[in-house]
Amino acid sequence: MTDVLSREDAQADPGRRLIEERILEPGTGKAFELRKGQILRIEQAVGNQCVDFNCFNLHDYKEFMHCGRTRTVHGFNPSEGDFLWSAPPRENAMLYILKDTVRRNDVLFPRCSAFLYESAYGFDVHTNCHDIQAEAQREYGLTPDDVHDSFNFFMCTEVTLDGLATITRQNTGKGDHVDLLAMMDVLAIPNVCGADIMRTSNFALKPVRIRIFEATETDLAAVPDVPAMKSQRTPAQFRNARIKATRELVADPDYMPEFANTPIVEEGIVLDLDEAEWALFEQHARRDLYGDDDGAAFRDILFTWWEERFLNAASGAPSTAGKGHE
Amino acid sequence: MTSGDTKRHAIVVRLNQQQMELVDRTIAGGLADSREALLRRALKEYADQHGGEADD
Repeated sequence: MTDVLSREDAQADPGRRLIEERILEPGTGKAFELRKGQILRIEQAVGNQCVDFNCFNLHDYKEFMHCGRTRTVHGFNPSEGDFLWSAPPRENAMLYILKDTVRRNDVLFPRCSAFLYESAYGFDVHTNCHDIQAEAQREYGLTPDDVHDSFNFFMCTEVTLDGLATITRQNTGKGDHVDLLAMMDVLAIPNVCGADIMRTSNFALKPVRIRIFEATETDLAAVPDVPAMKSQRTPAQFRNARIKATRELVADPDYMPEFANTPIVEEGIVLDLDEAEWALFEQHARRDLYGDDDGAAFRDILFTWWEERFLNAASGAPSTAGKGHE
Repeated sequence: MTSGDTKRHAIVVRLNQQQMELVDRTIAGGLADSREALLRRALKEYADQHGGEADD
């Protein structure tokens, strides 16, 4: 990465104070400290370039952005109006996608790696997102094992009807960008995807422009409320909060399991159905799954009904508000 | 099973303590006055919602 660009160009965003600006050259990445209320802009400097992305809580690297959680909440193509969530048991909104001029991103594919290029192309050394990410994060003491699943900006992917995931070419131009608003202090690490012999970035590696802005009041007001749950735990609530510092895994002789709500014990509710109710039940019982087990078939109806009636998503996380109320 | 002149059908729906808690919380929300009543309501509303089709 190199140079700071022209001020004139950088100030093309009226109302926001520019804090930092860089160009990430192909084959590189860079870790940025992004404070709560600041905006990271990832922008096409040329066009048609995938940008892989990792993100950690700046004050506790064990909290990191989780693609699985994010895609569960927002689907395979998170975009403007969605959040990037941290892994359980934290499950905090780390970043908010304030703007996305392309609206094609990926949380399905893993980062490309050296293994891929060696196995498929015969290169044991080749630009690849894992190693680029690891090298960029090394500035903050993280190891290659700390690289997590990548949020892939501008990456065009699809899932076919037979369940296969595929990569297609992208069609982005100079100036296309995503704006990520920090919901907490984070270390944000974009890298210029190293896949030059795949269609991810249309078979060429191009630079990417990074800008950090201070969010305006208007920016902050655009963020939806996010739920605060008791289950969003912190290390202070962990039974073991100590970060393991040795590589060998050895059983703790004093370990006593404390699984929640165990033992699981069942209790029966006896239902006495009349003819009309029985007919309804027979009509909807999943005999294909439960056979002649009426209780299991009814339990399925009960909780399917409950899901359909009460389960909804608010601001990216399941809401418990109003549960059990008309 | 029969009861009086109308044929009845007994079903035992087994729920674990967590599932039962959800049922009881839903009752506390005012949807029904008993577990049995809530289950009947669930059946009726499920059937209304799904018509003649079982859930996928």
